[in-house]
Amino acid sequence: MFQGKHSDSRIQKIPDAEQDIRLLSQLGEEQTLGKKLGRMAKENPLAVISAAVILVLILGAVFAPVLTPYSYTGMDLRNRLAAPSAAHLFGTDEGGRDILTRLLYGSRISLLTGVVPALLSLVLGTALGILSGFAGGKTDSLIMRLADIMLAIPSMLLAMVIMYTLGGGLGNVFLTLTLVNWAGVARIIRSETLKLKNTEYVEAARVIGVSKSRIMLRHILPNCVPTMIVLFTLNIPSSILTESSLSFLGLGVQAPDASWGLMINAGRQYLYTAPWLCFVPGIAIMVTVLAFNFLGDGLRDVLDPHQNRE
Amino acid sequence: MIQMKKKKLFVLILAAAAAAFVSACGKAPAGETASAAESGTAAAAETSAAAAPAAQPAEDGLLRAAILYDMSSMDVAKTTDNYMVPLNVFDRLFETRMRDGTAQVEGSLCTDFTVSEDGLRYEFTLRDGVVFSNGSALTASDVKYSFERLLIAANENTDIPLEVAGGEELMNGKAKELTGFEVLDDTHFAVTLKAPNAGFTAELSSPAMSIVDAETMESVKNFGSEPADTIGSGPYVVTEWIANDHYTLEYNDKYWGAEPTVKKVDVRVIPDPGTQNLMFRNGELDMIDLQSLDSSIVESTYKTEYPDRIISAPRVGVTYFALNADNEYLKDLNVRKAIAMAIDADEIITGIYNNNAIPESGIIPTGIWGHNDALERTAYDPEGAKKLLEESGYKDGEIHFEMAVDSAADSNIKLTCQAVSQMLEAVGIRAEIKNYDHSACLDLRLSGKMDSFIARWGMDYNDPANIMYTFFGSPEKTAQRSLNYKDKDVMARVAAASSITDDQAREAEYQALEQKIIGEDAAWVPLFEELHLYCLGDRVSGFTPHWAGFSDFYAADVVLK
Amino acid sequence: MIRNICRRLGESVIVLLGVALMIFVMLRIVPGNPVATMMGEHADLAVIERMTAELGLDQPVYIQFIRYITGALKGDFGTSYSLGKPVSFLMGTAFGNTLKLALFAALFAWALGIACGISAAARKNGLADHLFMGVSLMGVSMPIFMVAMLLQYVFAYHLHWLPISGINDWRGFLLPAVALGWNSAGSISRLVRSTLLDILQEDYIDTARGKGRTQAGVLIFHAFRNALLPVITMMALQFSSLLSGAVITETVFSINGIGRLAVQAIAGRDIPLLEGTALFTTLVVILGNLAADCLYDILDPRIRKEV
Repeated sequence: MFQGKHSDSRIQKIPDAEQDIRLLSQLGEEQTLGKKLGRMAKENPLAVISAAVILVLILGAVFAPVLTPYSYTGMDLRNRLAAPSAAHLFGTDEGGRDILTRLLYGSRISLLTGVVPALLSLVLGTALGILSGFAGGKTDSLIMRLADIMLAIPSMLLAMVIMYTLGGGLGNVFLTLTLVNWAGVARIIRSETLKLKNTEYVEAARVIGVSKSRIMLRHILPNCVPTMIVLFTLNIPSSILTESSLSFLGLGVQAPDASWGLMINAGRQYLYTAPWLCFVPGIAIMVTVLAFNFLGDGLRDVLDPHQNRE
Repeated sequence: MIQMKKKKLFVLILAAAAAAFVSACGKAPAGETASAAESGTAAAAETSAAAAPAAQPAEDGLLRAAILYDMSSMDVAKTTDNYMVPLNVFDRLFETRMRDGTAQVEGSLCTDFTVSEDGLRYEFTLRDGVVFSNGSALTASDVKYSFERLLIAANENTDIPLEVAGGEELMNGKAKELTGFEVLDDTHFAVTLKAPNAGFTAELSSPAMSIVDAETMESVKNFGSEPADTIGSGPYVVTEWIANDHYTLEYNDKYWGAEPTVKKVDVRVIPDPGTQNLMFRNGELDMIDLQSLDSSIVESTYKTEYPDRIISAPRVGVTYFALNADNEYLKDLNVRKAIAMAIDADEIITGIYNNNAIPESGIIPTGIWGHNDALERTAYDPEGAKKLLEESGYKDGEIHFEMAVDSAADSNIKLTCQAVSQMLEAVGIRAEIKNYDHSACLDLRLSGKMDSFIARWGMDYNDPANIMYTFFGSPEKTAQRSLNYKDKDVMARVAAASSITDDQAREAEYQALEQKIIGEDAAWVPLFEELHLYCLGDRVSGFTPHWAGFSDFYAADVVLK
Repeated sequence: MIRNICRRLGESVIVLLGVALMIFVMLRIVPGNPVATMMGEHADLAVIERMTAELGLDQPVYIQFIRYITGALKGDFGTSYSLGKPVSFLMGTAFGNTLKLALFAALFAWALGIACGISAAARKNGLADHLFMGVSLMGVSMPIFMVAMLLQYVFAYHLHWLPISGINDWRGFLLPAVALGWNSAGSISRLVRSTLLDILQEDYIDTARGKGRTQAGVLIFHAFRNALLPVITMMALQFSSLLSGAVITETVFSINGIGRLAVQAIAGRDIPLLEGTALFTTLVVILGNLAADCLYDILDPRIRKEV
């Protein structure tokens, strides 16, 4: 299975992910989630290393003020574009600010732009997807047409229009990425729901008169959890990449705040005179995205019986 | 049936796949080198980027230049931003040109003129035998048409023709023609003004007053957007304009003046200054406008590698920090004064601009007639600022307002905003940076509700009225430009100043006004005037930038080797 | 199947209308005045108001929308505010460039992706496998503008092999195409590899091996033939995403394409131009998805998509 994803090619993941779901639905109930994660840890060291990398990043983001003596906004005009040195491990940027410091503070925003929109779109997409699949009829076609519209507009274009409408800033980046991503999630969860709806135990529950909302919450939602975990993990890197692309176009988070994408955008002019401005955050993005991708792969492996046969 | 179809299709696909495979073998190394490049870039970047511009053979007389944004129109009735085509394809009655370091107004289409005693009536004589590039003769009625059409179109650049008697009536549709414009014969005409204006001939040299062919204008549909329809009498004709990509100017062999060394100009739209930088260094451009490139790059590469190829000219426009007089804190004179004292412009000039800027103390920039060298600058005094705020009863951090930043601004201006915000923070004023995209920024400013911003005003013509009137001439003007400056008396004086005919008295009045607005009212904080730097490629031997510091230039002022 | 296509096309019309309406409404909410932006820094309010009326922008939004749609149905997409030319004309030029770019990129991605996928699958966990999969993972994990900037730096600036920007000849297309296709190549190679590995475990492959086919023969003539289905589907899907997603590549290499036109349209609040580019790219995506589905149906008649 591939899960190569880029902000520009969001649509490619849909049929493929649907295929995954088909496989996921064959998942037996023989193992608990915890046991599966344990098995992943044993069989897939790369996923474990990735998890560790992510943990380090999170710690760095949380303890940024302790880890560095510099301020991430304070300018030092006498010390612009200084090369890496003992005082400034990764050099300074165009405003004389320590790049390591900005990288640490920037990881707060970059990790948040990965996690928050992925979570929000997961919640929104799952809710609408289950509702759509379970209710059927007019509700279904309304939600799905809406999703169609969102999916048909190229994601970058959609994100740009929304960002301009809302203006820059972190909250708006979250909202934009959520609006861009929910439709894909909703579609996949809907098809999952459609399958679950026809299983014997849901039929049985319906026959004995369990309420619709209870069926959705108690019987369908829990069975969607493995799919949701995979979708969540894989949406994080794609959100990080989309945010960096938005920042590259001058939208997204704005200076003097720091996000990795913004740092690359600001450093672009200096690529040939002070390459560290671009490379440090660039490598940070790559490592983070790789880590989430490996972890997503690992999770998919243990949650997907078809792959385990190999 | 389906089976057969499928088989055929399969064969086709297999063939395609095989072809793809074969070509992949050829391409595989490309992929590998690319990946090798990834690991090796850090090292590669360190090897000095001193690769000399590869002299790509370019045809004789060709000048390759680049701009950041494409023009929206070639018609001065529709744009005030894009003057490259108007400057080169059209002529004006007068031209302001740099001669020995000073800007001088010279006759161009006009060879002679007289002014009446009261300064109201001008009589002009047109140059003989001038023809447009389509061969039709340029006459006084073309000039009249050019004045009138600006008012009838009633879009951009109406200010100057409005000064002519009857202008208002024509614009409002109450009159059919411009009554203050008399055509005497083919080469003679007279213009009567509503009020005397000592700067009138200077105004006529503004690109806005480009002379068009009345006949052409009546017959073509797409003047200003189609090259073939955009006919002028200047040294060049537009031969091609691919929007967002490039446009081309070629020498007009019917041009009346001296033949320039540049026979063809290829202007490419390259939105990123970094890319322009690479292209120039790669020999793909013959000149580069260094305006938008970070000055530290200019300093570390251009000034060291091509020190003798750098052309420096004043930007002729003051970069200022405007403060909204309606803001609850900024309406307090002491707060404004404290802000002026808290900003260290010299630090910005050296730190951000690497000294490619000069300090400004007033409104009328260096390089413009009427500029006051003697005007005293507010001294940098953060302690004094703090004391002033304390005396006025403000607590540390109490004063806060928004500082709008146009996200389309160049990196130097953005850094300046951040630096100013930080300097103000040091005295306990929070100027919170808020980024707006260009359009939203403009809209907010025009509404008069923007708290504060930093921007540069580039002069349109060589007369202080241009900046003084635009910013402080009337309540509407101050609402949009100087953010609700309040003094009605000053506005009336600014409006009246342009009709003072005695040059000395006029200059004195402007300088007194400047003293009042900046010195006493601290309405805005003048920061500096940038120097406009260009670097010339090895095919170019000389270049005189536009006197007003425009990025647009006279192609005839570039000398090729 | 024809009925299915017709139904899908019918739905597309609704989607397109929805997109048109959404863009229209959003551009009205966006702070910023299209006319002020068009007229530039030195324009006064009075001038701006006159022009607003001239363009009909002082009318209620629904009237503007109806006017736009009726115009569009007649084939008149209006005149761009920021570039002063008919939108259809601007899009024609830009689409030509984007199409060429996407074709180059797709060729690169398909060729490299399939070749790497096959070589990786040929020896699972071999050197080539690890190398190609590592590189493709790097490819999908890097922001596309980083790839583009690196290519520009190494091949154009440092080695002088190719121009830094501009697409005057085929050489100009090479770097942008590689940058744009890089990501797809990674995805395709991973898909080809995993599909092939699945197939290689099937019984009939053993039969083929038993008949004395070489490993390469088995891979290409037996396994790859069966792996084509998902690969082709994905290639079709990716082509439309390459066409619609070239914004960043076009920006880095200063290519006058649809993506950059859209960016410029949003920045300039250029309603006609943004409507035009958005509708057009949306249409491309819809048709691309439809083509992918049709290919799927044609290639595998056993699978009829559940409706």
